[in-house]
Amino acid sequence: MNTIVDMKNLNKFYGSHHVLKDVDLSVSRGEVVVVIGASGSGKSTLIRCVNGLEMYQNGSLLVDGYQMPVEEDRLLGGEKELVAIRKGVGMVFQQFNLFPHKTVVENITIAPMRVRKKSKDEAEATALKLLERVGLKAHAYKYPGQLSGGQQQRVAIARSLAMEPHLMLFDEPTSALDPEMIGEVLDVMRELAADGMTMMIVTHEMGFAREVADRIVYIDQGAILEIGKPDEFFDNPKNDRARSFLARVLKH
Amino acid sequence: MIARSLTWSRHNLFGKPFDVLLSLTVIPGTLWLIYQAVAWAVGMAQWDIIPQSLRVLMIGIFPADQAWRSWVAVAIIAALLGAALGCVFAFRTRHAGFLALVLAILVSMTGVNTLAALTAVLVIFASAWILTSYVPMSRRVLIPASFTGLIAIFAVMSPPGAGLWGGLLLSVLLTLVTAVLSLPIGVLLAFGRRSRFSSLRMISTAYIEVMRSVPLILVVYWIWILMPVLTPELNLADVVRGMVGFTLFYSAYVAEYVRSGLQAVPRGQTEAARSLGMSEFDINRSIVLPQALRVVVPPLVGNVLDIFNAAPLVFIIGLTDFLRAGQMILANPQYGNRTYEVYSFLFFTYFLVGSLITFVARKLEAHLARGSR
Repeated sequence: MNTIVDMKNLNKFYGSHHVLKDVDLSVSRGEVVVVIGASGSGKSTLIRCVNGLEMYQNGSLLVDGYQMPVEEDRLLGGEKELVAIRKGVGMVFQQFNLFPHKTVVENITIAPMRVRKKSKDEAEATALKLLERVGLKAHAYKYPGQLSGGQQQRVAIARSLAMEPHLMLFDEPTSALDPEMIGEVLDVMRELAADGMTMMIVTHEMGFAREVADRIVYIDQGAILEIGKPDEFFDNPKNDRARSFLARVLKH
Repeated sequence: MIARSLTWSRHNLFGKPFDVLLSLTVIPGTLWLIYQAVAWAVGMAQWDIIPQSLRVLMIGIFPADQAWRSWVAVAIIAALLGAALGCVFAFRTRHAGFLALVLAILVSMTGVNTLAALTAVLVIFASAWILTSYVPMSRRVLIPASFTGLIAIFAVMSPPGAGLWGGLLLSVLLTLVTAVLSLPIGVLLAFGRRSRFSSLRMISTAYIEVMRSVPLILVVYWIWILMPVLTPELNLADVVRGMVGFTLFYSAYVAEYVRSGLQAVPRGQTEAARSLGMSEFDINRSIVLPQALRVVVPPLVGNVLDIFNAAPLVFIIGLTDFLRAGQMILANPQYGNRTYEVYSFLFFTYFLVGSLITFVARKLEAHLARGSR
């Protein structure tokens, strides 16, 4: 079973607004998929569907071996698969969303202890190892408010990794950062990709996308218009709207 | 020093013509009022009535030979308040001097026969304060300890009959019980009002809105007349029925404060916790509620002050709280001409307790602001 995410004819509506239109996308284990598109195109919504933060109305979505229930089923209480899926899917947000009332270590250990029922010692040992990996071991007992944006985002990545995810979702992880801090976060993501982590990334960092992605997904007005290898996509986009989008973002 | 105060008053009191006019009327007027009040308090007022009727003011008609029970209750209250204080402000040596000063003032007011008991109460207060200041582990038992403490107070105060509770002790107990019990009920109602389950949401919303749209005194009266009908076999004392009424009423207000706190927690917090696979119960308990409570601690402390100041309303169900105890003393023809003395004493005691609570609330606000981001 080499496919970790399999979307077929996935549709999502906000009331009468059709946000995702017949989306077909599959992601293999070990693959890095970067989703790009203009703001409001539905790219964040797309990856938020993968761990069920957004509900979809029809189509099918298979994540990590479990069928993600559609909205109707979830509202009627069919959410058992949801927990199983979320255990194996990590997510990093634009606004970091660290828990401000907990120290860095507590941020990282809370889910392994509560969800995976690990002992405190075991969870802390893992947390410290992960902090070392993202270069923040010295800040383990500080509160998030005492860290810079780039450091907070690296803690957020470590927090997700502590759950030993099979898939990591990144929702514009560098968009809320000052320019000088973007690099340190992208470095951590590069290392993750090199270690073989399966990743779905929404980003505006085109250089980074081209460098780490196995495939680029271009989405506009809720529909996937083009999927391709980075070099093909950036050098020779087939879709007209993708071409004009790239012309706009690559000009700077 | 003098030069600086001259400059200050030149700038702040006599800056513009209108300032001058205002200052020249307000300052002498205020000074005259203060002079009159002090002149009366020192020259004409006969304060002997206060020590003579102090027992009634403090514990109402609670039998004098059972007074040790009320001292035990006071000691438990002191321990709980001290422990609560220690969670926020660490005990320092200078606080011991402050406590000694309080002891001296209290003893000078009440006479030496209470010296031992008052000292014991203050020592217990300080010990609990020191304990939670320097032994962080002890803070975890504060919530169970406060419930146990309240039960212990009921146990020790009940034998002579709960109908005999009164005075300042009743006001304080009513406030404590209401404050402690309305918090969990309010938190549950606040979550109920945000619940995914429509039935819970409707019940909580209806409860909160109904309680907030009627007067406290009416709720207390209703509960007082309803409880014997609903629970005839329990035969609950008036005091308990009053506490139930207060708790049910103030839970609705606590719920609204807590709800405002819950709304202040960013959505991203819940989403992050969900993405980690945490259960909704764990998310609410460990991520959302602690952040929400941190925001609403100052208004909740203000709510405690509200409860304390509303406590005199229990006279409607025949209880003798602090204010009513004062009136009771004045009902004695022998003391008929001491109205102003008694009411002054009531005024200053309420003012003292009220401003103490406000002071703690403000300190708490500053403390919490420092702790967060």
